[in-house]
Amino acid sequence: MLESFFNSFPLILGSGNFLTIIFVIALGLLIGLFVGALPGLTTLMAMAIVLPISFFMDPLVGIPFLIGVYKGGIFGGSIPAILVSLPGTGASVATTFDGPPLTKMGKGRKALETALFSSVIADFSSDIVTILLIGPIALVALLIGPPELAAILFLSILIISSTSNGSVGKNMIMLAAGLFIAMIGQDPIAALSRFTFDVFELRAGVPLLPMLIGLFAIPEILINIETKAKEFVKTKLNLKKEEKLTWEEFLKLRKTILRSTVIGTTIGMIPGVGQVVAAFVGYAAAKNSSKTPEKFGKGELEGIAAPEAANNAVNGPTLVPLLTLGIPGDNITAILLGAFIAHGLRPGPELMSEQGSIVFAILLCMLIANILFLILGYFTMPLFSKVVTIKKSYLIPLTIIFAFAGSYVFRHNPADLYFLLFFGIFGYILKKLQFDVTPLVMAFILAPSLEYAFGQTLSLGDDNVLMYLLSERPIAALIIVSTPVITWKLFQRSKKLRDVATSLTSSQVKSS
Amino acid sequence: MNNLLKTFIAILAIINFSWIAKADYPEKPITMVIPFGPGGSHDLNARVFTSIIPQYLGNAIIVKLVPGASGQTGTAMVAQAKPDGYTLLFTHNYVDQLQHHVKKLPYKPLSDFVTVGRLNYAAACMIVLSKSKYQSVQDVFDAAKSSNGKLKLGHSGMWGATMVPMAQLMSWGKVNANLTPFKGGGPMVKGLLAGDVEAVLHFPSVIKGQGSKVRTLACGAKEKSLGTPPTFEELGFTGQIGYMDRILMAPAKTPPERIKILQDALSKLKDDKTFKKFMKRLGENMKFMSGPDYEKIRAEKSNNYKSLVKQMTKG
Repeated sequence: MLESFFNSFPLILGSGNFLTIIFVIALGLLIGLFVGALPGLTTLMAMAIVLPISFFMDPLVGIPFLIGVYKGGIFGGSIPAILVSLPGTGASVATTFDGPPLTKMGKGRKALETALFSSVIADFSSDIVTILLIGPIALVALLIGPPELAAILFLSILIISSTSNGSVGKNMIMLAAGLFIAMIGQDPIAALSRFTFDVFELRAGVPLLPMLIGLFAIPEILINIETKAKEFVKTKLNLKKEEKLTWEEFLKLRKTILRSTVIGTTIGMIPGVGQVVAAFVGYAAAKNSSKTPEKFGKGELEGIAAPEAANNAVNGPTLVPLLTLGIPGDNITAILLGAFIAHGLRPGPELMSEQGSIVFAILLCMLIANILFLILGYFTMPLFSKVVTIKKSYLIPLTIIFAFAGSYVFRHNPADLYFLLFFGIFGYILKKLQFDVTPLVMAFILAPSLEYAFGQTLSLGDDNVLMYLLSERPIAALIIVSTPVITWKLFQRSKKLRDVATSLTSSQVKSS
Repeated sequence: MNNLLKTFIAILAIINFSWIAKADYPEKPITMVIPFGPGGSHDLNARVFTSIIPQYLGNAIIVKLVPGASGQTGTAMVAQAKPDGYTLLFTHNYVDQLQHHVKKLPYKPLSDFVTVGRLNYAAACMIVLSKSKYQSVQDVFDAAKSSNGKLKLGHSGMWGATMVPMAQLMSWGKVNANLTPFKGGGPMVKGLLAGDVEAVLHFPSVIKGQGSKVRTLACGAKEKSLGTPPTFEELGFTGQIGYMDRILMAPAKTPPERIKILQDALSKLKDDKTFKKFMKRLGENMKFMSGPDYEKIRAEKSNNYKSLVKQMTKG
């Protein structure tokens, strides 16, 4: 293994390849960045479209090109989330908590830079961990089967719901609502229709993107319109000069970035959990250990750094099952698998032992991509942050156009516009009633995987699931047993935090 | 003067020619809907052949992935599209010929679509871990019998490309087994590697990547690259099993002369060097079948699935 690692260096540095690699990665990053930043165009789509281009390139050029698109795209999705509360993917939902408030304060550029630095640092560190621990991570991937995944997903939903804002009762209602909405469509195991009321548009289930844009962007727009007279005149003045992130501010974030990197890397090792959970858990953990948790959600830089670092730290380890076992963990790695195969390289145990240096060369390209991205991102961020400095009277219609266009472009399905409107109004009502939609979104995103893994567990356990868990699945049994304990602890802690927050706000009200 | 005249004629010819070309189908890019998600084998095969076909067709084919409801969303989209030859469907036999036996669909696959051609097929093989004690399909059947139907087998989705042949095999061997679904082919292989299930069906291109970790017991077709394991037919199974046909379909009302143009372009692929090279790398065969030929077996396959479904849902 060590030998193939060192043999990978000449592959990248030698024979004039290096400059080409740098160029294609940079190109890929820019493509990804712009595609990711446009709501409705997903990284996945962009990768599928540029995939044939990579067929006609050298493998060590074509695959890094795709990796560039991938990394650029993932970050690109955070830009509209921070600026106008338009999350392009589940992974950038947590970024909408503190991004838009910061933008309103005229700190859009600071927020974008925080996102950039945390993403790149976390990604870079997780890639290094991946290179060092590729063998053990592959073993962990095999230890996590359906029962373990079901237990982990269930615990994740509980953790995120219990640390969300709002009262426990309201969070539980939202959780149940999310689970219900996720059930509309085909049941994942037997593929039978449920709650579709014979409406064909419902058969494929509720689409994620129109729902996210509806729940997060539309209420934001409506509230902006409501408060137009009061606030926008004021904010326009601030926006003329966008402040950069200072060194002191960055140093304050290092603990958060480190914590989120550890969380993200660990979650990335568990196949099937992914960026969404990492981002939310990262956010929850940062809020929990903050001395000023009441500032979260109102424009706290840590609230950007935490989810951004966590969801990017997932990237490295998710590649491991693909590279070592030949099994893609998600759709994006499935496309990377395609690029490998089209070059006659079939990832799997054989590739690892026979052409391990190529695998390591690809991992090294990921490190290069991170460094390049830091540079490219730094110079393009001011450009993006300028977008919101245009007059608000233009920005609101522009956001509305992006929200609708984005929802449509996603599947080219007119029905998605109805979904967008429905969730827009629904989200607005929820916001007015002070419901936090996080548990709903989380439950909606994770429920299909949870249900699938649960169904598989029942099938594998045959007629005695309990025996099966105890005798053959000790890890799953352990997670299940510890779930109530962990949830109770977290619940108590966040209750304490909430109490502190309410007493603080009430004392502020008194003093003012 | 002579030169000028020549140039003039040449320009006229080009204008004239391009005008003719414009009047002919296809005068604009064609959209090809794949009713499955990105990164799967349909996506991959499509990316390869659509990047080569423009030189034979005269215009591009643009891939549009419309996954959802096990292929229904994308299929319905093409069924509702204008039948002008600019919207095609790239699907497989289980969606085309089996699904209407298990679900109420908003379209009639057999009469709403007509085959342009079969690009190729993949024939599933039964694999176990190389450390497994099962050496043959019969061993697996015996284990299923002696375990009282509790032997754990995996498939990659209800009524899908590995579930149907697995069910066909079980009914042929007159055994029951615990069939556990996985979310696609990748997770199913992981389930096999981790020991969650003991045998699965999968396609040769994937099996090759697993190298010496798995053993192939039998295949739907002769697979030289896997050490020529026996075919299911040689073991006594009558008829084709485990074939996943990658078929290009057009709405049935598409003008026949346009379908002919598509068929001609598609059939030229099998002699294309670049196409051959990529298909070899993907580990896929080039067993092309023309539209009319495929139409002949299409209805029969559908009938076979009908009786299988009846048998399965009865018990």
